[in-house]
Amino acid sequence: MDLSLDDTQKLIQESARDFVRSDCNRDVLLALDRKPGGMMDGLWQKMAGLGWTGMALPEEFGGTGNSMTDVAVLFEELGTGPVPLPLFSSAILGARTLLETATDAQKKAWLPEVASGDRVLALAVTEAQYGWRPEQIRLTARKDGADYRLTGSKLFVHDAAGATDLLVLVRAESGAGLSLLRVAARAPGVAVRTLDGFLTGISEVTFEDVRVAGDDLVGTAGRAWEGLRRAMLPAIPVLCAYKVGGCKAVFDMSVEYSRERSQFGQPIGRFQRVQDHVIHIVNYLDAARWTTYEALWKLDSGVDAACSVHMAKSVASESYMRACDFGHEVHAGIGVVREYGLTLHTKMSRSLYHLLGAPKLHRKYMESALGLVPA
Amino acid sequence: MDFAVEDSPEQSAFRVEVRGWLAKNVPASIEHPADAVDLSFEQYQMRRALGRGLGERGWLYPTMPTEYGGGDLPVEKTFILYDEMARIGLSLPPYYDAGGRMAAPTILVWGNDEHKKRFLPPICRGEVRTWQLLSEPSAGSDLAGVKTTAIRDGDAYVVNGQKVFVGSAHGADYSWTIVVTDPKGERHKNLSWLMIPMDLPGISVVPMDLLTAGGEGASGCGVKNSVFFDDVRVPAENLVGGENNGWRVATTHLEVEHGGVGRLADRRIVYEFIDWCRERRDGHAIVDDPAARSELVEMFVEAEITRLFALRNHWLSHTDQPRSYEGAQYSLRRKLSGLDMAEKMLRIAGPYVLTKDERWGPLRGAVEYFQRDAITALHPGATTDIQRVVISRRIGIGRREREKAGVLR
Repeated sequence: MDLSLDDTQKLIQESARDFVRSDCNRDVLLALDRKPGGMMDGLWQKMAGLGWTGMALPEEFGGTGNSMTDVAVLFEELGTGPVPLPLFSSAILGARTLLETATDAQKKAWLPEVASGDRVLALAVTEAQYGWRPEQIRLTARKDGADYRLTGSKLFVHDAAGATDLLVLVRAESGAGLSLLRVAARAPGVAVRTLDGFLTGISEVTFEDVRVAGDDLVGTAGRAWEGLRRAMLPAIPVLCAYKVGGCKAVFDMSVEYSRERSQFGQPIGRFQRVQDHVIHIVNYLDAARWTTYEALWKLDSGVDAACSVHMAKSVASESYMRACDFGHEVHAGIGVVREYGLTLHTKMSRSLYHLLGAPKLHRKYMESALGLVPA
Repeated sequence: MDFAVEDSPEQSAFRVEVRGWLAKNVPASIEHPADAVDLSFEQYQMRRALGRGLGERGWLYPTMPTEYGGGDLPVEKTFILYDEMARIGLSLPPYYDAGGRMAAPTILVWGNDEHKKRFLPPICRGEVRTWQLLSEPSAGSDLAGVKTTAIRDGDAYVVNGQKVFVGSAHGADYSWTIVVTDPKGERHKNLSWLMIPMDLPGISVVPMDLLTAGGEGASGCGVKNSVFFDDVRVPAENLVGGENNGWRVATTHLEVEHGGVGRLADRRIVYEFIDWCRERRDGHAIVDDPAARSELVEMFVEAEITRLFALRNHWLSHTDQPRSYEGAQYSLRRKLSGLDMAEKMLRIAGPYVLTKDERWGPLRGAVEYFQRDAITALHPGATTDIQRVVISRRIGIGRREREKAGVLR
């Protein structure tokens, strides 16, 4: 047993910390937050230059073949920003999806560009009847000779605004199974509309008689769901690690504020009611952290990780949201001043709550994993 | 990172050795009652004999230095010992021994050479068992407010006072006791620790009648006692850590007690209860009910988080890393989640969980015991409120600057 980071991971952590400190500080993040759907100009190139876009891909496709724990260490630091998530959507979720579903020729053609950061992926799964179960996918691709025609929409798609390629989950025309189509984000008939409100980086994507070449059917028709599940399994705890970083940032802010803010002639951290809020935050932080890293360790060492992954997702999503809530209890008025920065996390914690399935869904999966569902 | 308790060839050989030794040395007649109050004196003696056998090999207190009768074993081997004992329904040590668990690591930090040589080997070899005496009728959470006095008189300290919630069934050889050595002294500067031989004249032990005496299954206390001291003359050399320096010693002791060392025992009862809910009785299983299933998942998640906190603490302490709030955090979590789980069990399974009746009580009375013990367990080692105070101080937002614990093993 050794719960410490190895030397590679410490280097990743250090360079990610440096990136957040100097390139993605609070002012940068607030500016990004003010222009919804804005591309992360410069930042994306910088992240690609650091090799982060290729970390979750094998060397044969231009990546560096890092372990999922390595990747998670990076995302934990990005979560402290919180740095917006196109990197997750493209280099982790998108890349792993192609890795698990695409043909060899497609992998050779697409993945090296994903690894270099030139191709930016976004995964479009959910629809107006929102949910992450396969039966909730209704959008159907119509066969048109060797091509497909796509009309309809995907809702609550993460990081579509800056993507070059959309990976769109559709129902095969025969109705049997789900297929994945690669659709150029700039293709005629594709429209990405970023949603405004208490959410970030989330869009509605509409398809108006979009022609998709037969070569852009990813892998085998009707077989996409199995591959997608295999891709989500390692991607989920990486997303969880990002939330761990978010909890950590909220914890640090709350500790610092309760030491510095003075009322009734003393730091508010001396009041036990305020202490209780901070204790809730550290408990959420650590619960999220250790469930997440145990799941990652299981994945990296080839142990059956399903139950741990579902648990981590369920715990980390709730933890991030509630850590923010208790952060607001500590901060009171200043916490809702956008310039202060706490609301960046609050908004992110809500935005990510349902991504790849809400806690309720993952607890359902756990019932099966624990053998509680009667045969 | 590596969460595995995975055996290397060397560890695997050690596991085989441990398992083989236990198979030979654990009597077939050993019993595992849900409530340790049901352990007979004969059963207690069997556990003590087993403890001495383990002690001979340095396996009773495996992380203590060999020169004091420990095993000086690395964390992985310690895991194997805990693991193999748990597998046969026993804890390590296989009996209540607060002195070994908490006094021994504290004496290792604060005792002089003579103390270490005199007190530690008998504990580590299982020749003696020891209690800890802290709480008093008027000093619970406010430990610094104890009133039991120990006044120097020639070559002895004369002890007078009453301690409560002490020890276990079947007596002890020594009691690790916090006392006031300077009744007129300033708070926190008037305390000391004595290792008191329990056969001295003037000591009386009276059992208390409690909901439970605390502790799970075989590691439980059986009973808790009041201990009265009436002009008890304790040899002066039994004072450990310096006269009136007791509060600093207490900080080390409490760090251990608050869970800093990280116990590895997981909450078996939860996993066993989940299995019990899956069993079909008269064509019906509790898990048929979707609401019960979702509560079982909640229980599982809580048990896992608590297990992971313990694992982290164990790793921190056995790799000599600085710790701050983690001990109290684990303890608080375990207590609160225990109470919550007890409620969920009652809700899911109905009044069956309230009886230890042989026909109707689930898991041979273990669930009924848990219903009681989850409540008792809220206070030992510090109330949940005190644990929150400790966490806050360690985080650095409390009344005082963060306290540094002594280096523990």
